[in-house]
Amino acid sequence: MTRLAPTAEMTLGPFFPREFAQGANDLTVISGKRAEGEVIEITGRVTELDGKPLDNVVVEIWQADAKGRYDNPDFFGWGRAATDASGVYSFKTIRPGQVQGRAPHINFLILYSGLMRQLQTTMFFERIADPVLDLVKNRERLVAKREGAVYRFDLRLRGDGETPFFDD
Amino acid sequence: MSWSVEPRDPRTQSEGVVAGYAHTARRWPSQPLVVRPHDTGELSGPAKLERRLPPSKADLAGRGANRALGQLIHLRARVVDEDGAPVPGALVEIWHCNSAGKYLHPNDSSDSPPDPNFHGNARLIAGDGGLVELRTIKPAAYAVPDTDGWWRPPHVHFSVWGRVWLSRLVTQMFFPGDPLNDHDAILNAVRDPEARARCIARLAPTARGPANALVYEYQLVVRGRKAALRMP
Repeated sequence: MTRLAPTAEMTLGPFFPREFAQGANDLTVISGKRAEGEVIEITGRVTELDGKPLDNVVVEIWQADAKGRYDNPDFFGWGRAATDASGVYSFKTIRPGQVQGRAPHINFLILYSGLMRQLQTTMFFERIADPVLDLVKNRERLVAKREGAVYRFDLRLRGDGETPFFDD
Repeated sequence: MSWSVEPRDPRTQSEGVVAGYAHTARRWPSQPLVVRPHDTGELSGPAKLERRLPPSKADLAGRGANRALGQLIHLRARVVDEDGAPVPGALVEIWHCNSAGKYLHPNDSSDSPPDPNFHGNARLIAGDGGLVELRTIKPAAYAVPDTDGWWRPPHVHFSVWGRVWLSRLVTQMFFPGDPLNDHDAILNAVRDPEARARCIARLAPTARGPANALVYEYQLVVRGRKAALRMP
């Protein structure tokens, strides 16, 4: 059977429209309906080599609902945020439940000027056994730091403390 | 329906760090990427993304006194998966600079003039056959700041959602016959010449198009294909 080669990915460039990135970082309400579950905030800073913060980085997430389901019509598990001039992004969402065989987690995708392909990583809530987290060398870097209802998840693209990324 | 996403073919995709494009060496990870098994989280995705990201109208060029400056063009892009099957309902974001090489973005510090009639971005939903169509103007080439004479050829940015989370595609479309295409660090980061050629749109026969607009056709192939049936 024929297989078409996927189109070559290329950088997002520095001028991703600001308005495209707005209005999609609150996952707790969809079509006027409030999702069930524990409301949390996820925030972090995106930095490059030497720790310089990056402006207008697009961060997209995909997660299960509070019961570990990806196909709940009353919870839209996809969101998008862009970093501000100090490199900070934030999401308001529901803490995901456990999906069969996996620790609770949220998939992250990073798009930016200078990234010729999308970067994929995953945020975990605790350092517990997980078949994907267990594959990673510096696995503590994929575990968010909890400060009350806020989970801090910094993304270091390159350099000291570099975030582990996946090759999908 | 269940989907599978196979590893990228490195010949048809760019490396992370690209010669002549300095930002890549500051931003692409230095550590090897970790291969992982794909689970529901990677092989599912949001249905009806327009619930969160509302679509816009399919015209960036405007009309009459509000017409943007530049060559009127009509983009006809088709979204298909790796089986070649169209992806109706796919959300597609498109943005590009104006006919003087200026983006409608506060971070664009070039002294090229903005065009008050050019609104540089659109969000569309693919119809039957995976087709999106956009009436717009042809973007100009522009010099990349702080480089040794790197000019970007005219190009259009695309951001596309496909079948599942791993189908996400962000890329750029180029125009046929532009001499800058052969020197662009971004386009030429794709090593396979055929894969590179697929990033260049095709000019449709001019006799068939709408009045006063050149029609450019393009195909966007998103990752993912129908999962093979497993024998018991």
